[in-house]
Amino acid sequence: MKTAIKINDLTKKFGNKIAVDKINLEIYEGELFGLLGINGAGKTTTIRMLTGLSAVTDGEAEILGHSIKTDMQEIKPLINVSTQETAVAGNLTVRENLELIANIYGMNKSDIKGSIGEIVTSLELDEVISQRAKTLSGGWQRRLSIAMALITSPKIIFLDEPTLGLDVIARRELWKVLENLKGKITIILTTHYLEEAEALCDRIAVMAKGKIKALGTAKELKKSADKDSIEDAFVEIVGGGV
Amino acid sequence: MRVMAFTSRNIKELLRDPISYVFCLGLPIVMLIVMTLINDSIPVVPGTPKIFNIEKLTPAMTVFALTFIMLFACIRVSGDRSSAFLTRLYASPMKSGDYIMGYTLPFGIIALFQIIITYTSGEIIALINSKSFDIINALLSVPLLFPSMVLFIGIGIIFGTILNANAAPGVCSAVITATAILGGIWMDIDTMGGAWKTVCGCLPFYHSVKYARFALEGNFTDMLNPLLICSAFAALIFVIAVLVFSMKMKSDKR
Ligand SMILES: Nc1ncnc2c1ncn2[C@@H]1O[C@H](COP(=O)(O)OP(=O)(O)OP(=O)(O)O)[C@@H](O)[C@H]1O
Ligand SMILES: [Mg+2]
Repeated sequence: MKTAIKINDLTKKFGNKIAVDKINLEIYEGELFGLLGINGAGKTTTIRMLTGLSAVTDGEAEILGHSIKTDMQEIKPLINVSTQETAVAGNLTVRENLELIANIYGMNKSDIKGSIGEIVTSLELDEVISQRAKTLSGGWQRRLSIAMALITSPKIIFLDEPTLGLDVIARRELWKVLENLKGKITIILTTHYLEEAEALCDRIAVMAKGKIKALGTAKELKKSADKDSIEDAFVEIVGGGV
Repeated sequence: MRVMAFTSRNIKELLRDPISYVFCLGLPIVMLIVMTLINDSIPVVPGTPKIFNIEKLTPAMTVFALTFIMLFACIRVSGDRSSAFLTRLYASPMKSGDYIMGYTLPFGIIALFQIIITYTSGEIIALINSKSFDIINALLSVPLLFPSMVLFIGIGIIFGTILNANAAPGVCSAVITATAILGGIWMDIDTMGGAWKTVCGCLPFYHSVKYARFALEGNFTDMLNPLLICSAFAALIFVIAVLVFSMKMKSDKR
């Protein structure tokens, strides 16, 4: 298995506060990797560092062989991100938003057309394709925001709580999309829905207070925590013990 | 490609939110009419030309109207910065120069329309008063105003970059007022002299108004000096805009 992301002692401090504390991880190409953890565990901060949105305090990470400290400009065209907050251009239509991102990543015209066609079908965006983003409901804006990350056919995609605010149907649709991408591209996903992580992810890392507390398949996590459900295992790992 | 994509997004955002450009295009016309009416009611002082005479007023008003382009550029940039959308672009291959160009071009286009509309309205008012601009000089004034345009858009981008969306409009209003007072739009700074003139001379607005007036007069010899000063300011401001924006991009990554 080839390595897509290699993280060595990656650390992020905000003043005295340590948001990410010397984490080490190796994520493989084609893997669907889940990053779990309670609020404030450091998931978003980790993703922000890996996508060049936040400066690294200490440690290092390599993405497809490039250092995030020195070669971010080479990494950027190869990756894409759907941030925790929905990020769309309000006055542009759904199609224009998708075209904008595709153009910024330097895709050619025929590729753009094809990609938009595929994404629109898989995320069922056709009924809103000509609607301005700011007039969409929250969940539909979210779908668009995710579609804008998928449109550039990235080698690695970071999805920070993609299913937040999606209805059950939309969530299942997104699962299908992600399952189809499994093995083809590397996906790093954060979520607070544990059953979602269990159903989708090849491997899961559980973070708490900036550290990785457990790493493995859902099965392995349950086994090592000696619990039957992923939720109980999670609670055990993060030490919430109710 | 990245610049074109981002420019076209900014143009669409502008055109679909018409308040800004309707304001930018309508304001100079209204101001020209109001100022002309005021001018007509001021008694004539022998030996001094009225400052609100249309051939003096039109170039000054054109420069003044550019301050509103500055305001809307500033609001756009500061508004974008507070949105998750710009965060997404920060993760994309866009470079700081791409952002600056993408913000400058759309406002440059509106500024161009604004300049043309202001001179056309000025000419109509002149015709009503049985005068006329020299058409060649008026036509030449349009491209000659390019440095002023860059100057004000650059200032807008700088303030939009360093200020948040709440503070940006207030600070821009201060610049608008400064331009009006220190630019000699409503008064003839050259006849005032002294320390006041020195202060005005240290800022670009006075030079901008001055060369625009000389250009319409067709006095290209006297125009050269203030034009060069304004162009130097514009170049400097633009460089600062690029630097400030890329520094801010870095510091946003804390
Ligand atoms: N810009 C910042 N300045 C100061 N502290 C920050 C900043 N961003 C994040 N933090 C802190 O870093 C820690 C980790 O935050 P992060 O957003 O990574 O958590 P998370 O795991 O994504 O949580 P959630 O599930 O709520 O999204 C938190 O304690 C947070 O307060
Ligand atoms: Mg988060």
